[in-house]
Amino acid sequence: MILFDNVSKLYPTQNQPALDSLTMEVEKGEFVFLVGPSGSGKSTFLRLTLKEERPTAGRIRVAGKDLHRLSNWKVPHLRRRIGTVFQDFRLLPNKTVFENVAFALQVIGKPRRQINRDVPAVLELVGLDGKEDRLPDQLSGGEQQRVAVARAFVNRPLILLADEPTGNLDPGTSVGIMKLLDRINRTGTTVVMATHDQSIVDQMRKRVIELEHGKLVRDQSRGVYGYTR
Amino acid sequence: MRVQYVLSEIATGLRRNLTMTIALVIVVAISIAMFGTGLLVRSQAETTKGYWYDRIEISVFMCNEYSTGAGCADGAVTDAQRDTIRQTLEAHPEVDEVFYENQEQAFERFREQFDDSDVENIITPDQLPESFRVALQDPEEYDGVVSAVSGLPGVQEVTDQRQLLEPLFQTLDGVQVSAFAITLIQVIAAVLLIGNTIRLAAFSRRRETGIMRLVGASNFYIQLPFILEAAIAGLLGSLFGVVALFFGVELVVGRFIAPNLQFTSWVDSGDVWAAVPWLLLAGVLISVVASFVTLRRYLRV
Ligand SMILES: Nc1ncnc2c1ncn2[C@@H]1O[C@H](COP(=O)(O)OP(=O)(O)OP(=O)(O)O)[C@@H](O)[C@H]1O
Ligand SMILES: [Mg+2]
Repeated sequence: MILFDNVSKLYPTQNQPALDSLTMEVEKGEFVFLVGPSGSGKSTFLRLTLKEERPTAGRIRVAGKDLHRLSNWKVPHLRRRIGTVFQDFRLLPNKTVFENVAFALQVIGKPRRQINRDVPAVLELVGLDGKEDRLPDQLSGGEQQRVAVARAFVNRPLILLADEPTGNLDPGTSVGIMKLLDRINRTGTTVVMATHDQSIVDQMRKRVIELEHGKLVRDQSRGVYGYTR
Repeated sequence: MRVQYVLSEIATGLRRNLTMTIALVIVVAISIAMFGTGLLVRSQAETTKGYWYDRIEISVFMCNEYSTGAGCADGAVTDAQRDTIRQTLEAHPEVDEVFYENQEQAFERFREQFDDSDVENIITPDQLPESFRVALQDPEEYDGVVSAVSGLPGVQEVTDQRQLLEPLFQTLDGVQVSAFAITLIQVIAAVLLIGNTIRLAAFSRRRETGIMRLVGASNFYIQLPFILEAAIAGLLGSLFGVVALFFGVELVVGRFIAPNLQFTSWVDSGDVWAAVPWLLLAGVLISVVASFVTLRRYLRV
């Protein structure tokens, strides 16, 4: 589903590569934790997968597409197959919960019928039914993140990328979000999650990929956060 | 859904960036007024040229009994000589019409010009030359006619007004070129200003556009609200600009210049009307192109 083949990324302003000859593969339906110290290249990995950045060297395949050969105008179609969730939720403050989720479908031109069918369904899935008309600032952090997950998932993507989705949440709320991501993973969606949250990684016992200075230093199925330390 | 979404997005955009929208409208209004002024100055220069072109003629003065000079060795022009000159002129392809003016008529004109009853005491008809007045097909082509009759016996002198008016035409040419240059600079300035305004609008909505990119909205879909917003502001602005132009022409030319300076015909609101579609089109087009170019740079995938 995601294949990195000898991928390096050097940002123009840096002299250390953010990713250094990284080779790895994520299979369809997998749940993968991306761990490593700050600056090790986790977010860079996610941005490359979305083709928000281009690699300096190497090949990337996502959902059967060679990103190098994917022309710019087709990039939006790639992103429709990938959901994204961030630490800071990225909701629109003046749109309601329903509108925030519907926004993702509207802007890719989906018909109203589909929106009225899919948005309530996904809101129920994330446990926000009954809160459709709230504004983001009338929600707790965990609820806001659920809205973000709903928005990422409403178009039933093949892949869900999450960059420290629990970074702003307390441990109890984080567990709720993790259960949600696990449920989404069980529908067949591939999930890649960058995180610093040790207890979550240790509890979930999923595949763990550890980066350091942009290099892969550990790839462990049913792994823990930091057995090297 | 799409249409409704786009419309509501434009409405929000226009409302939220009210100051920016107003700035955009003003910029376009001023630019279009200046642009229109440039066009009017151009067409005024054109009209003035045409006005004078139509009046350009060549005068072929013939010998009288007092004349000296190479062509007048035989004294006053003879009937045969006059006929030869007339035939030469009428046969020439560049000549449109030939009028004959005898000595009496020349004297009448002379007297009118000087508006002085004492003229008779100074000059008599037989001292004035008779002449042919020649209107040309193309006022630019006078050389051929002049040289065709210059050497003929009985011709004292050939003058063409083109030489007299040459400085005026050169000035008008200069006016046209500078009006064009100013218009061009104005358009460039407008494009830059509009581009900057749109960039600010895009910046103030980077949250939305960022999310749109993430969920896979096409560039077209992301940019469309901005471009339509610019187009609406452009249309509004150019309408104001056109209104300003009407007032300007009416006040400055209609009330002040035209009644006082009558050496040419002046532009009027009819000329503005003729320019209106172009001005509106220009206002919208400049806005759309400027925002399109800006957004290509600032809302890239
Ligand atoms: N846009 C950018 N321009 C220049 N350098 C960048 C850019 N983004 C990241 N970097 C650099 O690339 C390296 C990897 O950054 P990245 O954000 O991928 O790390 P990370 O593993 O996500 O860190 P964190 O855990 O703190 O989020 C860092 O050294 C960072 O400074
Ligand atoms: Mg990061």
